[in-house]
Order: sequence, then structure tokens, then C-alpha cells
Amino acid sequence: MSAGLVQILEGNTFVVSDDRGDIESSSSDPTGLFSFDTRFLSRWVLTVNGQRLNALSTDDLQYFQTRFFLVPGSGSVYVDAKLTVIRQREVADGFREELRVLNHENEPVDLRIRIDAACDFADLFEVKDALKKKGHYRARVADRHLVLEYQRETYVRETWISSSSPCDIDAKGLSFRVTVPAHGEWKTALDVVVSSGSPAGAAAGHGPARIRGQRRVRRDMERGLEKWLRQAPRLECDWEPLGRIYRRCLTDLAALRFSTLTMPDRSLPAAGLPWFMTIFGRDSIFTSLQALPFVPELAATTLLALAERQGTRIDDFRDEDPGRILHEMRYGELTAFEERPHSPYFGNADATPLFVVLLDEYERWTGDTKLVRDLEHAARAALAWIDDYADLQDNGYVSYQRRNKQTGLENQCWKDSWDSISYRNGDLPGFPRATCELQGYAYDAKVRGARLARLAWRDPGLADRLEKEAADLKRRFNRDFWVEDGEYFAVALDGDGRQVDSLTSNIGHLLWSGIVDKPKARAVARHLLGPRMFSGWGVRTMAEGEARYNPIGYHVGTVWPFDNSFIAWGLRRYGFSDEAACVVAGIMEAAEVFKGRLPEAFGGYPRMTTRYPVQYPTACSPQAWSTGAPLLLLRVALGLEPEGDKLVVDPALPVRMGNLELLDLPGRWKRMDAFGRGRVDTDRVTRR
Amino acid sequence: MKQAGKARERAMPKAMPKGRAGSVAGAADPVTQFFAALDQQGHLATFEGASARVRLDVVDGKKAERWLISITRGDVAVTHSGGPADATVRIDRPHLEALITGRMNAQAAFLRNLFACEGSVGALMMFQRCLPGPPGSTGRVKPLSSKAVMAQRGMK
Repeated sequence: MSAGLVQILEGNTFVVSDDRGDIESSSSDPTGLFSFDTRFLSRWVLTVNGQRLNALSTDDLQYFQTRFFLVPGSGSVYVDAKLTVIRQREVADGFREELRVLNHENEPVDLRIRIDAACDFADLFEVKDALKKKGHYRARVADRHLVLEYQRETYVRETWISSSSPCDIDAKGLSFRVTVPAHGEWKTALDVVVSSGSPAGAAAGHGPARIRGQRRVRRDMERGLEKWLRQAPRLECDWEPLGRIYRRCLTDLAALRFSTLTMPDRSLPAAGLPWFMTIFGRDSIFTSLQALPFVPELAATTLLALAERQGTRIDDFRDEDPGRILHEMRYGELTAFEERPHSPYFGNADATPLFVVLLDEYERWTGDTKLVRDLEHAARAALAWIDDYADLQDNGYVSYQRRNKQTGLENQCWKDSWDSISYRNGDLPGFPRATCELQGYAYDAKVRGARLARLAWRDPGLADRLEKEAADLKRRFNRDFWVEDGEYFAVALDGDGRQVDSLTSNIGHLLWSGIVDKPKARAVARHLLGPRMFSGWGVRTMAEGEARYNPIGYHVGTVWPFDNSFIAWGLRRYGFSDEAACVVAGIMEAAEVFKGRLPEAFGGYPRMTTRYPVQYPTACSPQAWSTGAPLLLLRVALGLEPEGDKLVVDPALPVRMGNLELLDLPGRWKRMDAFGRGRVDTDRVTRR
Repeated sequence: MKQAGKARERAMPKAMPKGRAGSVAGAADPVTQFFAALDQQGHLATFEGASARVRLDVVDGKKAERWLISITRGDVAVTHSGGPADATVRIDRPHLEALITGRMNAQAAFLRNLFACEGSVGALMMFQRCLPGPPGSTGRVKPLSSKAVMAQRGMK
């Protein structure tokens, strides 16, 4: 996305505009008003006396609210400002824009104010591809509204535009002829409401059929953010940047909250802002895990929302199976016409075991056994999916291969780009593929599922069986995936059961899952912190020296903060506290450079070469699991672990952090404080 | 499942449309068959602990018929009747036939305004999850060799 673009959002409705507040979308600048994965405005341009305006300043008041200070003029260095135009915009079911024109002269002034509006109703999937639309457009004036409409068969989407002050409405916009008194002001409120236009309603010319219920008022949203920040644990730290990073994470996490239509009063983390403001199984689960010690309610909503949409049938187009947890949910035109499978799409092989992992971890922190009982069937179905549907090769390992060959995902693990899984020599394996971290997640799901079966489901038989299966999986895994000559785990087994032998960060997730035999763990940790993998900022997705290694390759050499947070957790799980502290230090220091907001990924260049982490260009910022990474790293650094009804604190902090306090951590213990003091010299690794 | 026997007993008579019961047309009618089979399941573990009532107002030219699906803590019963519900779906018969045979996806159809729903979205979603997958979906595909994958990417 180009620099200078401004975005605000609420739920899955968001506006991307230029710094004047104007929207003029093109394929290179995907601006507009978007809601439910559809663009509802592609043109929204303000002129005064036929002139465009210049931005003096743009204030992001809140994540859902922006104010633009503008003056008329052609963009010359010196602007003779006799007028100020203020646009204040906030997102709700569409947006509301308060437009104020201030006259600074000693006499009244007559003005022609114009808003041009138009829409292409592009599906989010189409925005960058500029696909040709199959339906037809109409613009009409109805009931003092300008109604922009798109219709393809029974599919109707409409944008309803109105003004609180009198105006002339034509098919291309709204015009105002106003006289602003000397040193006076004129204002109006422009309302843009998105509608899914039921065919009957559209024909009758009634008002918009709002997609969501009632418009929410701003006060509620503001209060929501304040309350959110106030309820979160308090952080004090000698290393000053950490306070800023922490606050940035909490604020971004608040912006990433997303409510589903079935649970309007609860929220779960969406995957990224603005293009991924939807339920993603994997991203929502990972982010909920990261945020668990701070805001456990996100995990509960994620679990409920995913269970409500858990697969129930075999659907090859959607890669759906009974018990499978969804991958991605979308509401745009291509989904509506089954030209894309996102209604929802189920093509991932990790969210289902991770669902069980999250449920167990959530209970360990909160003691909420009721939710474990409520989700008993969903968790059992997820566990059954591992054995009944994911073992595509009948070899006891979780594999994936898309059944939707046109629009399904090839790689159904978190590294979902086409070249992420390769042999050392760069060759690509066939399908099905059984990536190693999937076996770790499956192992962990069985172990944790056994605990839940004993604790809440009164089914010791199931618990025994799951534990036996987990032990067997672990034994086979450590034999079949272990690359003897390199002393690490292969990234995958291919369709012939052969090792896909490149060295990747996936081995860090194995530590987190606990599937690694103790004697092998030291070699794994050595690789993770060694020069081939550790850049000084973090662990690379792929080790230097592999044929496909590229420090700016999406999943083949960049450093992902989210990946690192789970690797650090894994290192601690196996007792490598100093090594974990090095990952904590590297990523937190990168977060400092990025002013608290970690990107999805950054370059894998050696730290001592570039000095600064080089951001990988991605469309979404903030990204949910990058936002969650510092939160999980705090947990790791302080060694926070629930044990029974107690919270164990076992700090292993980088020296630089000095004293760290985390106060009022919520959990089954009500509220508890954690303290730590930096004692690990991490510079020898991060700045070597 | 212990409720199954009980469910089987009451299923067919309750689900058969009045006046058409036993007729050749009734037996072959996919809508009737679908709801009879749903009723016959008696208990759906997927909805364990959950309760909802969904009514379908089905329009077929000038004729109208109603089906009421009641899920009570996972126990499912279908009647060919009206009654109060958490969600009311208004749908043309051909579209309903496409849904209950898996030829059309309910979520996609909803986005295309092919049916209208009033009331609880959660109840509607429960109904959607009772529907079958597309005919012809097998859950398996042929494995793909490394060579084939490389060739697709223009590599040797």
C-alpha cells in the first residue's frame, strides 16, 4: 500500500483514503470504503468552488476515527488560506463524515461545495486484479439519498449517501451552494450506509437494508478502548521502550478485535488490518494463545466462534471435513457465487489440532471448565479429524493436499506460499505433504485432549487412548523426521514418506509442542541460535545455505516475529532459558526500531550488516500475530506458567531490561503480580 | 446413542407431509426425504447442549409449506408445520431442493439473497450445518509427484 494512505476501521468495515480524506481508487492504490469484503465507495472526492483541497494535517483520533484539516489550493508551497475545511470521519455501518467549512475573512463568502461519489463494488479478492464485473450498475436518487447500486442476478449491494443539510443530489454526487458568514462556519453531516439490499427492498425503494444491526455510537467505542487498556495488566520496566511496545500492542489488539454476527457483544482477534479483518482459524488461535495471560476472553470467543462453524460434511470445493476448523471466512461477490470457496474455506491442517491446544491452555489459565464441557463435542470432533481425515497417507501422520485445485491453498500450514516447503537442493516435494510442525500440534492436541478428558469429560478411556497415541506418534516422529547427518528435524515427509530435508524454523514449533525427545532438543536449540538461523534480530524461517534461502523471501529466509514468539516459548519449555532470552531480546529490540508495531516479517539479513531490521513489504499492518508476539515474549521472559491454582514466575530476562514488573495478571488466581530482573547477557548472541 | 431408537419410532409419521403421506410423489420428494432423515437421526452430537428452532417457509408457485426444525440440547425433531422459531427462513422450493441435496451452498446462497432469514443468525447457522456437502465430493484426491509439482512451476 502506498505511503500517505489513511485507514480507519470498525469490525470488518474500513476506509482507506488519501491524506485529504479523498478516495480515488486505482489498481495501485486500493482505497475505498470496504465492508463485508466488498468495496462500497471507490470514489469520494471533495471540491470547493471546483478546486481540490490540500492537507495541512491528518489526525488519527482513534482507530475508528480520523480528522483531516484542509485548505483549498493547488498544492503550491504557499497556500493562501482564507478557508479551512475540516472533515471528521468515523466508521460504523459505512461511515459518517462531519464536514465543516470555516471562513476566516471579514466578509461572507459564497461557495460551491461538491462531493463526487461512485462505486465499483469490487470484491476484496478482485481489488488488485481489476477483474471485469459480471453484473450491472445503477445510480439513483431515492428518498433524499444518492443510492449507488450493483446487481448481479439476485445479488445486490448498495451504498446509501445522504446529507443532514439541504443539497442537490445527482447520480454522481452531492452539491451544496452555501454562504458562510464572516468569521463564520458552515457544516453538514454526510452519512454513507452500506446495504446488502434485499431484492424486495430495492424494488420498493425503501431505505437501506443494513447488513449489521444498529449503528453503534462513538462513545461506546471510545469507552471500550479506555476500558480495554485499563483492564489489562500494568507493565513497569527499566528498559523504557518496553512500556511503549506494550501499550502499542494492546491498542492494536483492540483495533483488531472483531465481532461475529452470532456474538455481537464479544470479540476475537481478526488476522490483520485492514485486508484481513475476518475470522482466520490459524491466526485467531495463535493470537489468542499469545494474548492469553493478558486478555483471556479473546481465547474464549475464538473457541466459540470456531466451534460454531466447525466442519460437518465432506466438501471438496471448500476442503471441508467433519470436525475440521475453518481457515478463512469471506462475504464478497466471488464467495457468494461460489467462484471462491470462502463460505467458509477449510484448507488448513493446523487450526484443528491447535483448537484443542488453545482450549486446554485457556483452561489452565482461567479454570473455566464450563467452556471445556460446552465445547466437549467440538474438541472430540477436532481430535477425531486428526485420525479420520488428516492421515491422508495412512501412515499415522497429519498431511495435507488440496482437493480444490483451482482456488484452494497448496500449502495448508502457516508457511502457505508455494515455495516454502523444499528439499535442501531447492526441489519441491509432491503431495500430500506432512510438515513437521503439524505432527507437533497433533501430539500436543492428544496430550492436552487427554487432560481435558479426565478433567471435564469424565472419560478416562479416551484419555488413556489419546496418551497412548501421543506416545506412539512421538516415538515414530523422532525416528522418521530426524535428519541424522544434520541433527535436526526435516521440514516434512513427502508423498513417498521421504524426508524433505531443509533446515527451517518449523523445528522451533516442535519444541513448543513437546514432541522432541529430550536428547535431541539441544541440537535443535543450537541450530535455532546458530549463525545459519539466528540473524541477531530473530530466527529465520529458513536457514542460510539452503538452496531456496533468500533473506527477503516470504517464508524462505525472512524473520517472523510471531514464529519467534512460539520458538522462544518452545526453548523455555525444554529449559533453554538463556536461548529464549536471546530471542526475546532480538525481537523486542526490533520492535523498538518499529516503534512498537512489529511487521508481519522483516528481512533475514545479519543484524550486524544492516544494523536496522529491513521491513518486508506487506499490505497489512498491524498484523494480529505480530501484535501478539511481544505479549507472548513477555510471558516467556518472565517464565509465567500456571500450575494448579498458582501462577509460577521464573524470570530469564535480557540484562538490558533491568527490572520488569507485570501487575494484575488475570487468571484462575484472580489477579497476580510478576517480577523479574534482567540477568541474561544476550548481546553475545544478538550482536555477534 | 441411546436416543436413536426412540427417535426412529416417531420419525416417519411426524415428518411425512399431511395428505401426501405414502403417496409415490411424497416418497420421492427430496425435501420430504431430507427432513425425514434429519428427524430420524434423533440426536446430533454436533449440537450437544445447544437449542434452537428454525422454521422454513417454503414457497412453491402459489403453494406454501412449512417445516419446523427443533433442536433441544442436541435432540433434533422435524415437523411439517409452522410455529414460533428463533429463525425464520423464507425460500423458494427449487432453492431449498438445491440446498438439501448439496448442490448449492447455504452461506453463498444467503449472500446472493436467494433466501431471506429473520431472527437468530446462530440458529440459521445450525440449520446450514445440517446440510450435506456437494454431490461427488469424496474427500480424497490422487497424490501428486514431486516431478509434477516442479513441472507445474516450470521447473525441471
